[in-house]
Amino acid sequence: MSTDTDIYIVGVGLHEFGRFEGVSGLDMAEVAARRALDDAGLTWGEIGYAVGGSNVSGKPDTLVGRLGLTGISFPTVRNGCATGGLALATAANALRAGESETAMVIGFDKHPRGAFNPDPATYGLGDWYAETGMMTTTQYFALKTQRYLHDHGISLTTLGRVAAKAFTFAEANPFAWRRKPLSVEEILAAAPVNPPLTQYMFCSPNEGAAALVLTTGDRAHDLADHPVKLASVAVRTRTFGSFEVFAPWLAPGERSSPSVDAARAAFARAGVTPQDVQVAQLQDTESGAEVIHMAETGLCEHGEQEALLAARETSIDGRLPINTDGGCLANGEPIGASGLRQVHEVVRQLQGRAPGKQVPGSPRVGFTHVYGSPGTSACTVLTV
Amino acid sequence: MTTRFVEPTLLCDTEQLTLLGARCTACGTTTFPVQDTCPRCFVQEMVHRPLPTTGIVWSWTVQHFAPKAPYRALATGFTPYLLGYVDLGVVIVESRLVGSAENPPAIGDPVQLVVLPAFTDDDGTEVLTFAFTRTGEHT
Repeated sequence: MSTDTDIYIVGVGLHEFGRFEGVSGLDMAEVAARRALDDAGLTWGEIGYAVGGSNVSGKPDTLVGRLGLTGISFPTVRNGCATGGLALATAANALRAGESETAMVIGFDKHPRGAFNPDPATYGLGDWYAETGMMTTTQYFALKTQRYLHDHGISLTTLGRVAAKAFTFAEANPFAWRRKPLSVEEILAAAPVNPPLTQYMFCSPNEGAAALVLTTGDRAHDLADHPVKLASVAVRTRTFGSFEVFAPWLAPGERSSPSVDAARAAFARAGVTPQDVQVAQLQDTESGAEVIHMAETGLCEHGEQEALLAARETSIDGRLPINTDGGCLANGEPIGASGLRQVHEVVRQLQGRAPGKQVPGSPRVGFTHVYGSPGTSACTVLTV
Repeated sequence: MTTRFVEPTLLCDTEQLTLLGARCTACGTTTFPVQDTCPRCFVQEMVHRPLPTTGIVWSWTVQHFAPKAPYRALATGFTPYLLGYVDLGVVIVESRLVGSAENPPAIGDPVQLVVLPAFTDDDGTEVLTFAFTRTGEHT
């Protein structure tokens, strides 16, 4: 495969995240797709390839019936919370392989209220695992965070600060869902869900859609005033020693993580280091996930998060603003759209047109990270 | 009251309460439940082994809300319950923990394997699962 073809993002579009009665997942996907096309100044007829992702809310490739029957190849992916990242990687690889000069990536979902209730057989597990109450995603995040706090000296206050930061960012973002600021004290005192995590430290499954338009380098600068380069995208699944969702057992000893592996690969391919990153999006299914992923992606050392959050270094005026649109915590998580929402936000930050709070100082290097069950991570490096 | 164990293949035998693991003859990796292939070295030579019945709490949480189906509650209804990971030395297993949300364990507490009523069948049969109970406190 040729890897010297530069890929650019020339258009981004979102359908607001939240709850929209009477609006289907496919309806939202169409809105996001048309907004991304408008942003790029292209028509659907000029798109030569598409990739779609939805976990539970419809077949993405049926969107051709709404957008236009142009006959293009339109694969679909379904990789849990990492779906958006996988869709983007698939489209980028197709462009590099010469399938087309333009591609659209679309992700969407429409989830019912409450935590997910997956079928154990789908994950290769016996019914006993779910029947006895051990197959709830929120438990996993709580158990991983509980151990992480213990191992690395992170306080509950830091978990509260992560959530408070998310709602502060969301207050300024018209696309976000939960836009009411909450104090650290309110977050810590909220109803416990799975200790050490309270109600406001968790994101909720909800509804929304996101779309991107990609082109090869030759066309990007004709189309956009400020195209953002997809400097790299890397996907990894778990290796031995990782601690993932729905794990009846863990191996003792050293921990691995698909997020560590995907981030390393993304930085290496892009030729930048984590220290170069000026704006980042990390999978924040809950407060602890953001804390853990800060270190797993190499943006800080394990344990350093305590001081970084206390000094507001990941807030808008800090050294490395993280989840500047409010992240999953404030936007909720329509699984198929979530990873593309992250890219949407970082693209607009790098273009100096953030929908909410703009990172000062014209950032030039951005990073995104999604994580999904049963242990998949996708990372991108975006540059201008 | 009639009882049954939720999944008999998780145990060595029905007489003595011991969890059944699988150990890789090549690298020593131990899995629970048993599986045929070693996830570490990919060799398909796993032998069944009883797992230790004592360990220490590796992580814990409380399930404060009733999970959706296929979770099943006791006939007395849902009450918040403890669960966690227990380090048995050769493997760390996820398990229900005996105790209450008001008095949770701490990481490092020693624990012992026991059975715990998990849910009730439609015919009134009480379904048991494995769990760990504290035998002391982390020192």
